[in-house]
Amino acid sequence: MPPIAPGTRDLRLDFFRGLSLWFIFVDHVPGNIMTWLTVRNYGFSDASEIFVFISGYTAAFVYGRVMKERGFIVGAARVLKRAWQIYVAFVFLFVFYVAEISYLATRFQNPLYTEESGFFELLQKPEIVILEALKLRFLPANVDVLPLYIVLMGFFPLILWGLLRRPNLTLAASAILYTVARYLDWNIALYPWDRYWFFNPYCWQLLFVIGGWCALGGIDKIGRILRSRAFLALCILFLLYAAVLQLSWFIPGLTRQLPAWMHVLPLNKSDLSLFRLAHFLALANLVVRFVPIDASFLRSVWARPAIICGQNSLEIFCLGVFLSFSGHFVITEISSRKLAYFLVSLAGILIMIAVAALMSWYKGLNRSVEKPAPKKNLEEKIA
Amino acid sequence: MRIISAAIALLLAGIVPGHAQNCNVNPELVETSSALQRVNTAVTKEGKLAILVVSAAPTQVGQASGLKSYPSFLEAALKEKLKETNVSVFAFAVPREPIGKVLKALPGAIREHKPDLVIWQTGTIEAIRAMDPDVFGDKLMEGVSLIRADKIDVILMNQQYSPRTDFMFDGTPYTDNMRWVAQSKDISLFNRYEIMKYWADHGVFDLRAMKSDGTYEKLHRCLGGLLADFVLRGASLPGSPDNHRK
Repeated sequence: MPPIAPGTRDLRLDFFRGLSLWFIFVDHVPGNIMTWLTVRNYGFSDASEIFVFISGYTAAFVYGRVMKERGFIVGAARVLKRAWQIYVAFVFLFVFYVAEISYLATRFQNPLYTEESGFFELLQKPEIVILEALKLRFLPANVDVLPLYIVLMGFFPLILWGLLRRPNLTLAASAILYTVARYLDWNIALYPWDRYWFFNPYCWQLLFVIGGWCALGGIDKIGRILRSRAFLALCILFLLYAAVLQLSWFIPGLTRQLPAWMHVLPLNKSDLSLFRLAHFLALANLVVRFVPIDASFLRSVWARPAIICGQNSLEIFCLGVFLSFSGHFVITEISSRKLAYFLVSLAGILIMIAVAALMSWYKGLNRSVEKPAPKKNLEEKIA
Repeated sequence: MRIISAAIALLLAGIVPGHAQNCNVNPELVETSSALQRVNTAVTKEGKLAILVVSAAPTQVGQASGLKSYPSFLEAALKEKLKETNVSVFAFAVPREPIGKVLKALPGAIREHKPDLVIWQTGTIEAIRAMDPDVFGDKLMEGVSLIRADKIDVILMNQQYSPRTDFMFDGTPYTDNMRWVAQSKDISLFNRYEIMKYWADHGVFDLRAMKSDGTYEKLHRCLGGLLADFVLRGASLPGSPDNHRK
C-alpha cells in the first residue's frame, strides 16, 4: 500500500466501511433473503471483520498523527472523547431496544412460543437491567459491536502509544493476549444467566490492532510478501476453499462430497476464530491489490453513497441497528415475502445514505463557520 | 407461482370446510440424510417402536397421548401408518433448562423409557440465554454419542421460527452446531425453523399472532405428521408418502 500523504484520506477505507455498514444492517434483519448480496454466505468472515479492521486502521491513522504532533495527553484525550460518544450512542440504542421488548413482553402471549417468552424474564428486574446496561454488562441484540468499540477505544491511547514506538512489539503483545484469552476462555460476563460478550474484546482486539499496525506503516514492511504471486495464489485458494465450504452449508448433499479434513464449520465468531481472521486478511489483501488507492471509481458519483456512510460510521451504524429493528417490525406486521425483504433492505440503505449526506452537510457547515478550517478536526469526527 | 400456490394453500386451509390442514413443505426441507436402523429393526422384527422426545419445553412432559403438542400427533400418525406395531411416544423435558441439565438427566430417561429413537429438540433456551455455541455443540455431541453408544437412533430438532421474537436472540449458531453434530455423527436434523418459516412465508400459518388464535394445535399436528413421515422414510418403512421413490 503506498504511503498516504498527510491530509489525504484513503477513500477505500470509507468506501468499504460504508459497504460493511450496509451489510451489517442487511444481515441484522432476521430472515433477510438479501443477505445473499452480502459477504456473509461466501466465506468465513463477514462485515464485522471489515468494520473492526477499518475502525482500527482509521483510528490509528487519525489519532496517531494527533499523538505524534501534540503529544500523548492530547491524543489520548481525543480518543477518549470518541469512546464517550460511542458510549452515548450505545445507551441511546439500549433505550429503543428496551422499549421494543417491554412492549412485546406485556402483550405477547402466543402459546406456540411459551419457551421463547422465557426471554422476557430479563425484564423482571428493570432497575438492575438498566444499571447493568450502563456498565456494559447487559447488551441488546445487534449492538454487540458498539461495546467492543467502546472498550477498544478506551484502551486505544495505550495501544496507540505502543504502536507509535514499538509497532511490532505491540502487535506481538496483542497476538499473545488473543492466544492466552482463547486458551483460558477469557471473556466479559453478562447479566443475567451465564452469558458473555458476543464480540469477545480479548480476542477481537487483535484485528483492531492489526488495522492500526497496518495504518502506521507496518504494511510497507511486509509489502513485498503481500505483493508476491505465490502469496496472492495462496489467498485466492483459501478464499475459494472458504466459499465452497460456506456454500455447502446451504446446499444439501454438497457437504457429503467434500473430504472430511475440509470441514471446519461452524467457526467461533465470538472468539474470532483464526479461520475467520485469515479469511478476512486474505480478502483484504486481494481488495488492496485490485482496488488501488487512486482508483477513479472511488472518486465517481457511484462510490459517493458508500463513502459518505463510511465517513459517518458511528451515526450510520446506530441508524442501521435502529433500521433493522424497524425493518423487522415492517416484515412481521405487513409482509414477509421476498419482495418485502428487498424493499425493506433497499429503503434502509437509502435512508442510511440520506442521513449520511445530511451529516456530511452539517460537518461542512461547521467547517465553514470555524474559520481556520482544520482538516484534522474533520477527520477526527470521521474516525 | 409461489403466490398462486400460497393462495391455493390458504383456500384449502381456510375456506373449504372440513378439509385437512395443508402441511406441505418443500421436500428438500424434510430430506432425511441418515438411516434409522434401530427403528427399522424394532418395527419389522420386534413389532414395537418406542420414541423419546427430549426437550426443555415446559409443555412437553409425559406420555404423548396426554399432550396437545407434536409428540402426541407424531404418535397418532405413526399408529395409523404402522397398524401392526405397538407405538409409544414419551415426552421428557427438563423445563426451561439449558442443555447441560438435559444432558445430566438423559441417561436416567433412557434407562427408564428404553427408546428405539430419541428426538432431541434443543437450541431455544440456549439461544435465549446466549450460551457459548461451542460449549453447546460439545454438550450436544456428548449427548448424541451417549445415545448412539446404545445403538439408539437420534433425530435432532432445532428451534421454532418465531417472527415476533426473532430479533431478540439469534438461533443460527446453535442450528449450525446441530448441523455439525448431525454431520459428524451421521444422524438427521429435522429443521423445524426452516419448515415453520416456509409455512409462514407461504401463508400456510400466520405465526405473528400476539395471543392464542388456534394455530397451536394445527401447527403441532402438521409437525407431528411431517415428523412421522420423516421417521418412516429414515427407517425405510412403508407408509411414507414418497417411500417408493427411495
